[in-house]
This record gives sequence, C-alpha cells and structure tokens, in this order.
Amino acid sequence: MNINKTKWMIFGVAVIVAGCATYPDQATTKLMAEKMVYDAFTFAPEHKKRLDQDRSQQICSKIGDAKLTNEEAAEVVKLARASIKYPASGNLVGNWKEGDKLAHNGAGDRIRNGKVEKRKENGALCQNCHALAPGEINVGNVGPSLTGYGKQRGNSEAIAKYTYEKIYNAWVVFPCSNMPRLGATGHLTPEQITHMVAFLIDPQSPINK
Amino acid sequence: MAEPMKIRATLQGDTADVRILMRHPMETGTRKTSSGVVPLHFIQSVVVQHNGKTVLDVQWSQAISRDPFLGLRVKGAKLGDKISVTWTDNKGDKRTDEVSVAAGS
Amino acid sequence: MEIMRGAGFTAGVMLLVTLSLPAAAQNDLSVGRKMLVEDNPGELWIDQGKDLYYQKRGPKKASLEQCDFGMGPGKLEGAAARLPRYFADTDRVEDLESRLLTCMSTLQGFDKNEVAKKAISSPRSRGSDIEALALFITSKSNGMKVNVTLSHQKEYDAYKAGEYLFYRRSGQTDFSCDQCHGEANKRIRLQDLLHMTSAAGAQEVASTWPAYRGAHYVVRTMQWRLNDCVWQMRLPDLKYGTDYSIALTTFLNRRGNDAVIQVPGFKR
Repeated sequence: MNINKTKWMIFGVAVIVAGCATYPDQATTKLMAEKMVYDAFTFAPEHKKRLDQDRSQQICSKIGDAKLTNEEAAEVVKLARASIKYPASGNLVGNWKEGDKLAHNGAGDRIRNGKVEKRKENGALCQNCHALAPGEINVGNVGPSLTGYGKQRGNSEAIAKYTYEKIYNAWVVFPCSNMPRLGATGHLTPEQITHMVAFLIDPQSPINK
Repeated sequence: MAEPMKIRATLQGDTADVRILMRHPMETGTRKTSSGVVPLHFIQSVVVQHNGKTVLDVQWSQAISRDPFLGLRVKGAKLGDKISVTWTDNKGDKRTDEVSVAAGS
Repeated sequence: MEIMRGAGFTAGVMLLVTLSLPAAAQNDLSVGRKMLVEDNPGELWIDQGKDLYYQKRGPKKASLEQCDFGMGPGKLEGAAARLPRYFADTDRVEDLESRLLTCMSTLQGFDKNEVAKKAISSPRSRGSDIEALALFITSKSNGMKVNVTLSHQKEYDAYKAGEYLFYRRSGQTDFSCDQCHGEANKRIRLQDLLHMTSAAGAQEVASTWPAYRGAHYVVRTMQWRLNDCVWQMRLPDLKYGTDYSIALTTFLNRRGNDAVIQVPGFKR
C-alpha cells in the first residue's frame, strides 16, 4: 500500500511539474525579448540607437491584431508633427532629376562587419515599395502606386507642403504607417526630401508622364 | 579538381528518367573581379552511356551556367542498367560517374 | 533521346524577369519558380554535408554521430522537423545551426567562435561546413511535416519572445518583420515577400531552408536569411546563433507546422 502511495505521489508531482509550462505574460515576454535584442548584435556605441525604440516605435510595435487606441494614434501624430524640420532655404520643391535618382537608390547606411556603408548619400528607397514612372516593371507594391502623383494632385504650395511632410515623417498623416519616417529618423536630409517632392509633383517628372 | 556528380536514374515504364547535377564553375571568360578577368573555364562535352553504348554526346558552350543540370530520358532501359556520365572541360579536366537504374515511384 | 534541359540559371532567371508583369503574370512566375526548385544545385551540398557528418574531425577527432538533434544521439530522420527545441545539456532552446555549433564544439573540440565566424560562406565558394551539415541533416526530414511542439517553459518563452520580436520596430527604417512580411501579395521590387503572419507563408519559411541561393551559388540557411534581413533594416551586425534569431525561428517554424519539408529550397 505504502509503495503504491509513494509511486502515485511521485507521479503526481511529475505531472504538476510538467504541466506548469505556459506562455509567459506580456511583461515577462517583453523583458526577455528586449534582453535578447541587445545580446544579439555587435555594435559600436554610436549604433546602439538603431536597436533602441523611440516612444512612437514602441507604440507602433503592436503584436498580431492588437489595435492602436485613439489616444495612442493622437500621441504618434503629435510626436510626428513636432519632429518635422524644413530646409534652411524654405523652398520645399527641389530638383526632380535628383529626386528620380534618389527614388531608385536603395543603398546607404547598412552595416556589415562594423563598417557603415557610406555612399555619397543615402538612397530614398522608394522603388523598393512604390510604383513610380509608368511602364517601370522592377518596382515594389508594399506601398501604394505613385504613378501620376502630381498629375492627380497638382503642384500647389499646399500639395508641396503635404508631400514634404509625408516623406519627412509619414506618421504625421498615418500613425504607425509601414513607411519609414525618412526625414525624422535622419535617413534623408531636408534637402534630399525637397528633390523627392519635385520628383513627385513636377509636371516634367517621368512620374507624371 | 573534378568533383563528383549527383546522378539519379529512375525507371518509368521502359524509360529511365536521368537527372544529373555537375559541380563546375562554368566561367564565361568575361566576368571581372577585383583581380581581373576570370579566365574561360567550362564543360565542353558531356557523354552519357547506357550499358556502355553512347546515348547522348553533346557539346556545351560557356553560356551554360555554374553547377549545371542535365536531364534526359533513355528508352529501352531496365532495372540495374548502368548509366554513366562523363564530362570534359576546356582545361582537359574530366569526370565520370555511374549509377544503376533504380525503381521509379 | 530528349533535347537536353541544359539552360543555365542565369538564362532562366532572366527569361522570367523579362516576362514578368506585376499583377497578371503571377501564375506564370510561380510555375517557373517551381521548376527552378526541382533538381537545383543545392543537392550537390547534401553529400558534402554527409561526408562532414561521418568524418572524424577536429581536435577530438570525432564524428558527429553522437550528436543529439532532439531524438537521441545519431537519430537524424525527422529531427530537423522538430527544431527549434529545448536541450537539457545546454539548458537552452536551440535551432539546427546552433545545435551544430554545440555538437561541433563539445564532440569534436572545434572553437565555437571560429566555426561561427566561418558559418556564412562567400558567394561562389565551396560553402561552409555548417551550410552543408545543416542541409544534410534537414534533408533527413524531407517529406515529413514540420512539427515544432512547445512543452518546456523555455520553448514557450522562445515562441512568445519570437512573436514580440517579429513586431518590434526600430532603427531609421522603422521596420519590424511585419512591415514587409505582414501582408499578402506584397513584393519588394520584383522579389515576392512571404506573408509570414499567414499559415501558408509561415509554412514556406519552415520547410524550404536550407536553400540554394541562385545569385550566390551556394547553400544558405535561416541564420543567414535573418542576418540579411537585419542588414537591409539598417540594424547592426547580427551575431550567429543568438537567442534572438532562435526565438524568431521558433515562432515562425511553430506557425509553419504541418508544412512538408523539401530541401534544398531554391531562392533567387
């Protein structure tokens, strides 16, 4: 009798121990995962910020189907608007030929073996995700087509300003958009963004042909 | 240095479905690296034999790409028949590998 | 006597690119891509991996036959299908590549850091030991279903951490995996993106690595793929075999359960 009781107790304990494994809660998950991030990469001190999350990125890292609350959306938009810097000249429309080159340039600032890829300037990455001039085949579709952008909207000052701000910080229009906040994160300079604006709205630009 | 080929020969009815993968750089002679142009180096001829009888004798050019694939069907094959493949490249390097025809699925 | 199907990969890929049009030709593209997977040169690395597995190597002059990939030492059939999983000897969840690192150091005496440094080979090279071994061992699960189970606490932790990391945005691109892999029918330029938050997309991730990368002429692994992604995301250098990458792989492979493994896969 006693031997059987012991056996059942051991079995019971084993079942309890085995049955204890469950999904960790959100807070525990975050703690573990954040530690994993900083342990996983080799980085010089000045590159740590590529792993850090600013307040907006933290809000915009929703897991699965989790939705953005109205308050969160408003906060992201507010932070985005505050981030916007304009070029020193005050002229928001640059050279569309420069913009055309930048739009097709997906390089710049990538890190390999500790070295940062330094080209003459960072590419604007547009072609990766957006259709551009009509007839171009080698273009992505992660973002909406930009073909005929200026034809559809015109090239007024208001449109130039809207376009500049959207490229500088896309989250001012659409909080947590998939689009990188190219100006706000420093990937592109204000001057480069003026060329992108010209590329999109100038009637002579291939995008509007 | 000639590397072994990977050859599969499976019987489908009375036909052997033969699939061959060869390891070869197949350099076109026009590719530039930082140390200059990589010289022409490609498989010039491939001979496939079925039980010692030549069934395929082809001449390749440098247009065939690296680690090339060759597929062919040999009629009148039986289980256990020998399929042998020999390639020769423009540097005189050679490689022969042989398999027996196996049952198909 | 059939006309040989000797068309090179370069020619084949170029043909597909010139024929492709964004929406309508999607089906033609996928038919062509399926044809590239069959009999791809990656198969040449399976025997290379097999030799490395059975050869007595390293300071300890031992083979890898005593390596436990989760089903007991030396049991290879079906082992890769269950990875990543928890291993008591390292008290850690390991994927296939980190498990290989473990066995190559404990059984064969190789220095883990040295092996990790060489794990990702140069394009047009003979490939690394890990690439060949990972392919050989995964090929022993060909035809079997991906079957990642969660029972140890650390497996649950890895899964949830991987999910968190999948959605974690950072850096000047503001990218997490989700920006590119969270929607169906998306592509970057002409490269189709797997919809990894769907079962079908996750299944393709879980069942097609290691794969022959056409443009590199070598076999590539999941660790390499994650490395290449974070490079484009403008993140710093990803170390090899990290908990970060294992967590992401656990998350994706588990979501990819029931996919039928068929390696080597073929990538552009």
